[in-house]
Amino acid sequence: MILAAQAAAEAPGFLSPSGVEIAFLLVGLVTLGAAVVTVTTRQLVHAALWLVVALGGLAVEYLLLTAEFIAWVQVLIYVGSVVVLLLFGLMLTKAPIGRSPDADSGNRPVALGVALAAAVALVWVVVDAFRTTWIDLDGAVQGSTEVTGATLFKHWVLPFEALSVLLLAALVGAIVLSRKKEQAR
Amino acid sequence: MNDALDVAVRLVIVFGLFLVLPLVVGQTEHKVMAHMQGRLGPMYAGGFHGWAQLVADGVKFAQKEDVVPKDADRRVFQLAPAVALLPYLLVLLAIPIGPGEGAVGQVIDAGIFFVLAVMGVGVLGSLMAGWASANKFSLLGGLRTAAQLLAYELPMLLAAASVAMAAGTVSLPGILNAFEWWWLPWQIVGAIVFFVAGLAELQRPPFDMPVADSEIIFGAYTEYTGLRFALFLLAEYAGIVVLCGLTTVLFLGGWHGPFGGDGLGWVWTLLKTAVLAFVVIWLRVTYPRLREDQLQKLAWTTLVPLALAQIALTGIVKVAIQ
Amino acid sequence: MDPLLPPSRPGIPGSGLAKGLAVTLRTMMKKTVTAQYPDVQPELPPRTRGVIGLFEENCTVCMLCARECPDWCIYIDSHKETVPPAAPGGRERSRNVLDRFAIDFSLCMYCGICIEVCPFDALFWSPEFEYAETDIHELTHERDKLREWMWTVPEPPALDPKAEEPKEIAAARKAAEKAAEKAAAEKAAAEAAAQAGLEAQEEQQ
Repeated sequence: MILAAQAAAEAPGFLSPSGVEIAFLLVGLVTLGAAVVTVTTRQLVHAALWLVVALGGLAVEYLLLTAEFIAWVQVLIYVGSVVVLLLFGLMLTKAPIGRSPDADSGNRPVALGVALAAAVALVWVVVDAFRTTWIDLDGAVQGSTEVTGATLFKHWVLPFEALSVLLLAALVGAIVLSRKKEQAR
Repeated sequence: MNDALDVAVRLVIVFGLFLVLPLVVGQTEHKVMAHMQGRLGPMYAGGFHGWAQLVADGVKFAQKEDVVPKDADRRVFQLAPAVALLPYLLVLLAIPIGPGEGAVGQVIDAGIFFVLAVMGVGVLGSLMAGWASANKFSLLGGLRTAAQLLAYELPMLLAAASVAMAAGTVSLPGILNAFEWWWLPWQIVGAIVFFVAGLAELQRPPFDMPVADSEIIFGAYTEYTGLRFALFLLAEYAGIVVLCGLTTVLFLGGWHGPFGGDGLGWVWTLLKTAVLAFVVIWLRVTYPRLREDQLQKLAWTTLVPLALAQIALTGIVKVAIQ
Repeated sequence: MDPLLPPSRPGIPGSGLAKGLAVTLRTMMKKTVTAQYPDVQPELPPRTRGVIGLFEENCTVCMLCARECPDWCIYIDSHKETVPPAAPGGRERSRNVLDRFAIDFSLCMYCGICIEVCPFDALFWSPEFEYAETDIHELTHERDKLREWMWTVPEPPALDPKAEEPKEIAAARKAAEKAAEKAAAEKAAAEAAAQAGLEAQEEQQ
């Protein structure tokens, strides 16, 4: 969202923004708001539901950036699966309706620091990378499935595969952990 | 202006279909289920064989008091039916009914991902309802819904991925344009996996563990009354329409038919969808409810391996014919 | 494996599922069994116990039914009337005249004892069953209503094959047979007499 604001601020058409830019900005604000509520609300399930709003807002931003494929994958994986898993976990812990006074930890300043550092790093990297790049909405689609696939498997195969190794490691770790528990019984 | 009018007309048509088709499926279910049990089903509402039964039901639901339990989380409770229903409306927008640009609400480049993603969102409605009702049966229903979704989303995605591999595109009209008749035997395992997983995701019998009335009353929807309850029911039937339409488009060749040119494509699509909807009802009448462990076992030990085998087969054939 | 159990045949996997589908499909093709009652009257079996009808001409106010009724739901009022002598110079007869005959169907338990016990065949089962009322007091039906129901009593069902014939018919038949025997005997005697006369004539010639 900050990226959106800065991108808009740096845009040559800042004083006469197009409809898409305005929409991008507004959705960005909503997403930012939802994200802030997610981490500040004391109601556990509400936090998860606000996370849905934030992730959905991100998907809309991807759409506005013409990255259709990424947008739908975002919805499919984050909203459809991760949040459902999250809610499943919350329900298993019998998350109460209403505020949970103990839903806070002393890690607040540390978390804020980490979040700020991550945000600064991301904004810096992204702004540096796409400083003056503009998406030509009338030209060829730049975020279609075909283009995304080609880019992913032509230019970024190594990071992609490295990522899958990471997932594999997580999977193996999970199996090892669950097996250990069984032996302990 | 012309574009705006075009969009408006499309939206109105899709919305009309969204309102009519689930009712048609519901009425068919009334009748088919009745006859499969040696009964007649509704006979009075509307005069001719009770055709207006569901309209009458809707009127009844609209008249009922909208009750929110005292301890419930009000906003989430009231929002849940909309979250459950709207995704199906969006999905219906993307299903092509005939060839050409004119016969689809909106052409979406990553169609398969769109429909599966949005259908997954619909389940959030059940989860919200289950948690916000402040009722242990609702909570159990929500838990079962979540467990079922997590188990069956994977085989459904894998089966859909197999078709996408075969067609070389993830756009729904694109898949249909590439369709050949011999895809039917080639993708039949994927089709069955997709259909069964879809049924489970819709919580239709025999996969209706999350709303098992003999155990947890009506699962996540226990506390709902009136119009909100009707919306959940509508979501279920809209889900049937969407699932059957999707299976038709992905696996049964959509508008392609043995005879009748492209002009009659939409008839083929509707016909195949109707047959599948009949199968959905047929399965409901025939089979008893699966137990929770049987549900999970079916998903993880049968459907997922079958879907993976289908993907392998698709890959092999695809490489062989190139 | 338990030798007592029938050998389990492995069969084709999924054949059970297919069988289930076939059953439901076949049932769908069959005729339904729904009774469309208010539109179509049900076909009731002949001995249906719907309601009790009164054939008051047969009633002698013997009060047997009222006394036998287990829950006292039959009300009978009567008075005595004097009937003039049948033949001139004879004695006057007294006769019971029925004033009221009512059955409270809110109490009646349809045991049918009153019908069994009636010695003069004045009470009958009628298959009529649509006599619901909105007030429980109105369920006490008077003699005019009971008489109306009398006309809905069906003919007695045919007897089972090889059953003993009804007593009335048996008695009538016996009487008829006796009469026929008698007539035959008389005729035979007459014929014998005639024959004897003829033979006597022949002998004379």
